[in-house]
Amino acid sequence: MPARKDTPVDEDAGQGDPAVTEDVVALLMRQHGRIHTLFEEVRAADGEERAAAFRRLVHLLAVHETAEEEVVHPAARSAFDGGGDVVAERLAEEKAAKEKLAALDDMDTSDPRFMPALLSLRDAVLVHARSEERYEFAQLRRTTPPDRLALMAKAVKAAEAAAPTRPHPGVEGAAANLALGPAAAVADRVRDAVRRAMGDG
Amino acid sequence: MTFNPLEQRGIPLDRQIRSWRELNVAPIDPDASDPYTRCRVITMNGIEVEAILFSHQLARNTVDPDVKRGLAEVRYVEAQQQKAVNWLLPGVSSVLETTIAYEQVAVDLTAWIARMEPDPYLRQAYEFGVLEDFDHLYRYANLYEMIEHRKAEAIVDGLTEVMPGRPTRMHHRHPFDNVRDPYDRAATDPLSKLHALTVMAAEQQTMNFYMNTGPTYMEPIARQLYQEIGLIEEEHVTHYESLVDPGETWWEQLVNHEYNECYLYHSFMEQESHPKVKALWELHLNMELEHLRIACDLMRRHDGREPEEILAPQLPNVLTFEPNKDHLRELLATQMDLTTLGAGYVREAHERFEQMQQRLHDGERPPSDRVIDQHREMFDRDYRLETEGPHPVASERA
Repeated sequence: MPARKDTPVDEDAGQGDPAVTEDVVALLMRQHGRIHTLFEEVRAADGEERAAAFRRLVHLLAVHETAEEEVVHPAARSAFDGGGDVVAERLAEEKAAKEKLAALDDMDTSDPRFMPALLSLRDAVLVHARSEERYEFAQLRRTTPPDRLALMAKAVKAAEAAAPTRPHPGVEGAAANLALGPAAAVADRVRDAVRRAMGDG
Repeated sequence: MTFNPLEQRGIPLDRQIRSWRELNVAPIDPDASDPYTRCRVITMNGIEVEAILFSHQLARNTVDPDVKRGLAEVRYVEAQQQKAVNWLLPGVSSVLETTIAYEQVAVDLTAWIARMEPDPYLRQAYEFGVLEDFDHLYRYANLYEMIEHRKAEAIVDGLTEVMPGRPTRMHHRHPFDNVRDPYDRAATDPLSKLHALTVMAAEQQTMNFYMNTGPTYMEPIARQLYQEIGLIEEEHVTHYESLVDPGETWWEQLVNHEYNECYLYHSFMEQESHPKVKALWELHLNMELEHLRIACDLMRRHDGREPEEILAPQLPNVLTFEPNKDHLRELLATQMDLTTLGAGYVREAHERFEQMQQRLHDGERPPSDRVIDQHREMFDRDYRLETEGPHPVASERA
């Protein structure tokens, strides 16, 4: 729902003020932080621990990107002038990152080629995340009413709940990570949950 | 190690202009680099910014057009140096991540200088100031975890501790009480002049950074925290610049600036672990040697004095980025409750201080306190990185 230029601006309405309520941008920025931290965990670990950390990273990336594709990008397309182009550029970054991820997915985490490929993926993901924050999210917050941002946050949270990004406490390890399922199945579950949550609103 | 910059030959000025290709430096890795490499980058950026601003002020006070042109020529090279240095910072870092790195610089640079400073009055000025930057690091680290859900240890990497220092709300003093007494240019150790210039330039750059980037945040608490700490950085610039003897002539000041740049590039070249960054420090040292020679000529011509009269016969020991945890813990245990009165220091809150506090806070909690309140609401704790045990002051323990 784009802000109309002919309506007077109510500066006290709290538009663009994430403190008014938990909004989707604050939530996704924190996910960006967690993704960055997980890259560091994969880099610092070795052996089984590295493999487990990498699976957690792949899983969180799948949840996060799917939620963005389902919730944020469609809203941004129509929220502001040039939104379509901004989203197209973000999708191109996402596609490039996914290709790097696909190359890694078949590789053993102890393979000597793994670490350079991981760092290359990290660079692509961080650039993509920062570009979203600067060029897409900032505009989205500016043009979207707080209640709409809050509803979008609810949908992203539903997505996370449908595909928990962390194993249950006490069951960490390879078995628990296996239970998280492959990235494609994760994306399906996330999409269903998002559509239910957005439909409720 | 003996290195006398007055006896070294640098790169001739007409060969110092760089092309776009040479200015297009590769940024350092945001995670894998030594945090102190980033600290050296931030420090040298502050030093080059001061070089440029000082040269502009000097040019505005210069009548002779030939001298103005000469200053402009060196200044253009300094502007390129600033670009080559500051563009080493990676674009993927957020403003808040760079801010935390700025505060790590302020803590470990000022603490090291306080340890090495021979003059007790000047040392007290650094010891006083560092406890405030230490607290700013704590406040920004809490903001960082709230907004980006990342811990500041990913940036400072355990080299610098993060915990409360002198509470930020207490840094707002009456402006009169931020003016210190200057050193005596004829009597002071030449090292003291370099220390004062270095910390002043670093704080000035921090002030500029916060005053410009603060409003780019959307989160109200972030905007307000940058406003509050930005005001304190201005107090710090007042505090440190007043240590410099105002009786130094413009040309003497120019020589001190150029000498200090040689000292710092030489220091950082000696300790740099990143090969490409090390090569840049070496290149810039060789440029600065020529800038120093030109400044010395100007001083001889305009003041009729020899630069050797005001400079050390050789460079002091290298200025080093290293952990200062023990020193900081000792200061926390002994100087948390200090404030200033006139050019000195007191422990009691005096009338002028209380009036300033009353006017500014006006019965409300300042942003620096609210950021911790909000963090506690979100996480049921504040964010700290105490690698050497609990806080040295019992009442400040989590």
